[in-house]
Amino acid sequence: MPGLAFDNYQRNNYLTTKGYGSPTATSTGTTIVGCKFNGGVVIAADTRATSGDIVADKNCEKLHRLAPQIWCAGAGTAADTEMVTQLIGSNLELHSLHLNRKPRVVTAMTMLKQHLYKYQGHIGAYLIVAGTDPTGAHLFSIHAHGSTDVGQYQSLGSGSLAAMAVLESEWNEKLTKEEAMKLCSDAIEAGIWNDLGSGSNVDLCVMEVGQDAVLYRNYLTPNVREAKTRSYKFGRGTTAVLRESIYSLVEVQEEIVSFKSAAEAIEVDA
Amino acid sequence: MSDPNSINGGSAVAMVGKDCVAIACDLRLGNQSLGLANNFEKVFQLGHTFLGLTGLASDVTTLSETFRLKTNLYKMREERTIEPETFANLVSSTLYEKRFGPYFVGPIVAGINSQTKKPFICGFDLIGCIDFAKDFIVSGTASDQLYGMCEALYEPNLEPEDLFETISQALLNAVDRDALSGWGAVVYIVTKDQVVRKVLRTRQD
Amino acid sequence: MNSVASQFTFKNTKQDFQDAQQSLSGFQQLNLAPSLALPPISQPTDFLRAHTDDSVNPDCKIKIAHGTTTLAFRFKEGIVVAVDSRATAGNWIASQTVKKVIEINPFLLGTMAGGAADCQYWETWLGTQCRLHELREKERISVAAASKILSNLVYLYKGMGLSMGTMVCGYTKKEGPTIYYVDSDGTRLKGDLFCVGSGQTFAYGVLDASYHWDLSVDEALELGKRSILAATHRDAYSGGSINLFHVTEQGWVFHGNYDVGPLFWETKAQEGSFNNVEG
Repeated sequence: MPGLAFDNYQRNNYLTTKGYGSPTATSTGTTIVGCKFNGGVVIAADTRATSGDIVADKNCEKLHRLAPQIWCAGAGTAADTEMVTQLIGSNLELHSLHLNRKPRVVTAMTMLKQHLYKYQGHIGAYLIVAGTDPTGAHLFSIHAHGSTDVGQYQSLGSGSLAAMAVLESEWNEKLTKEEAMKLCSDAIEAGIWNDLGSGSNVDLCVMEVGQDAVLYRNYLTPNVREAKTRSYKFGRGTTAVLRESIYSLVEVQEEIVSFKSAAEAIEVDA
Repeated sequence: MSDPNSINGGSAVAMVGKDCVAIACDLRLGNQSLGLANNFEKVFQLGHTFLGLTGLASDVTTLSETFRLKTNLYKMREERTIEPETFANLVSSTLYEKRFGPYFVGPIVAGINSQTKKPFICGFDLIGCIDFAKDFIVSGTASDQLYGMCEALYEPNLEPEDLFETISQALLNAVDRDALSGWGAVVYIVTKDQVVRKVLRTRQD
Repeated sequence: MNSVASQFTFKNTKQDFQDAQQSLSGFQQLNLAPSLALPPISQPTDFLRAHTDDSVNPDCKIKIAHGTTTLAFRFKEGIVVAVDSRATAGNWIASQTVKKVIEINPFLLGTMAGGAADCQYWETWLGTQCRLHELREKERISVAAASKILSNLVYLYKGMGLSMGTMVCGYTKKEGPTIYYVDSDGTRLKGDLFCVGSGQTFAYGVLDASYHWDLSVDEALELGKRSILAATHRDAYSGGSINLFHVTEQGWVFHGNYDVGPLFWETKAQEGSFNNVEG
């Protein structure tokens, strides 16, 4: 059966009544932004993934491709942003194949919001959708419950306040592509430094009208780890071993079957 | 106690070395404070890909069997064993299928791609969010301790013999600070054509 | 757990605390006892329980160290006291080198299970009371009296969140080797053999199988050590190392600290036991 399965739901609910709380899923924590400029749109994201107060991934990817010219930045429950993005990306491809046209950003946004609304906020995806299509450059934000927002600039996630502070003070209608890239990365950096849920690097994606999107993975890396000045390598034989077994991974099984016996074996109406 | 992930206890870790990967786990299965078994392996071999599963023991067993089935069907259809990268996506979608009634597990995957010969490791949360890492992945009740050990001990491009010492010491010293992990440990060192499995001598308290 | 506890719990107000302290200071031998400062809230006990009792609230932020195995038994040649040394806060092993035998004075030992701070504080306090008794009465305090000072004290604080399970062990001329079990419920029991803590059942299992009155000193020490070893193996919250004591008429003698790591494998090789473990 395609789609989601609910067969553990009752058991887990029972476990909750017995005093076992549910474990935390990986969250993106996240600062994500997007802003339009003359002739296109830029989105950017930090690269920290958290589970509780632990940094689970120091360089994760929060920029997802929906179509060659439509990209999406995701905040909220990491698995949800990834999966909902893959699903809509796939449907969008089928959709454009069906119509024999390039997909539009509004279409992507509508498919996402209808899907998210259907799940009444249980799919915890907070997205900034951006891209170019034959009607121009577009920028939207979508909340987990299905509401959407249109704007010249957007920010989402736990670091959205820090990022929005930068966007509000710096954005203007006459930005060039380079200025927009600088503005977005500055906004993300504000999140990286001032929001504990965000950190590490800046990923950035530029979509210009009439061109394929360009992804700048790790556009900024302001948190490179200092090289260790001393090695903690252990001498070989440090660890006590009780038992050791070695086996080959290459599984080649050769069996020679003679034609004669094979032919006899196939004989069915003997 | 409040978390189904820490009823039975157990931990696992994977690391990348020079043309090799290592994956290791402890052997404890408990019921809260009571140790029940010291032969509960949490690493499973599926072709040339290795899967580590920590968390609620019943889900560990259920999922390991599910993946055995799925990889066997894959092998019959494709006439080859599953690649680690492909398997990672299989794990992710299998877990996400149960988005609203998840399995209480923390899977990790390790292996070497048989075509590209590139080492691969990754980890997941309980609903299938993949954590691609270039260095190491940790999971289980001692994961906080493992993060600390790995951040300190890990260095890139270790030879298989040195990777074994690093991953073993990281695991051993982490589980020695966790009440619910330990009671023995198993380490797999995987190179492109051979696997070395070592059972470690550990503290038994 | 809580339903049991609540039966013995009063709704303590700040006034109750002050009353308790008054009766404490009214106790003439307790003049030197320091008093506990009260938090500026209406119901300190409820506050404490809400934030520290993980059996009531699993998500409580303050996890008091629990989990232990301690044992003491009487035999022909005195008393053997053996304890593990692990301290845990939740599943985190906070220490593997805790001293769980508190040397109250050269003739009295107290063991520690439950709240580490409670045991440490009140048993050292007990030491000062015992010394005061000696100065006043010109003779050493009996184990019965010492244990009763402690049990009366914890009873004053009953229901206010103290957590201790302790054995007061000593040897006096008139009593001989004596063990009293005292816990924070106010229970005080005299007996030959006690195991206390999360690993108590495992220790009882080994101890009961081989215990008898006529054990030699070496046999008794070995049995105490072996019982704790069994408990550290099975109980997740016990481990680290084993501390061994022998209490004689001349006072207590320390018989060493044994790291469970190597001790386990030595014991296994020597006895051919622990066949559930490979190696």
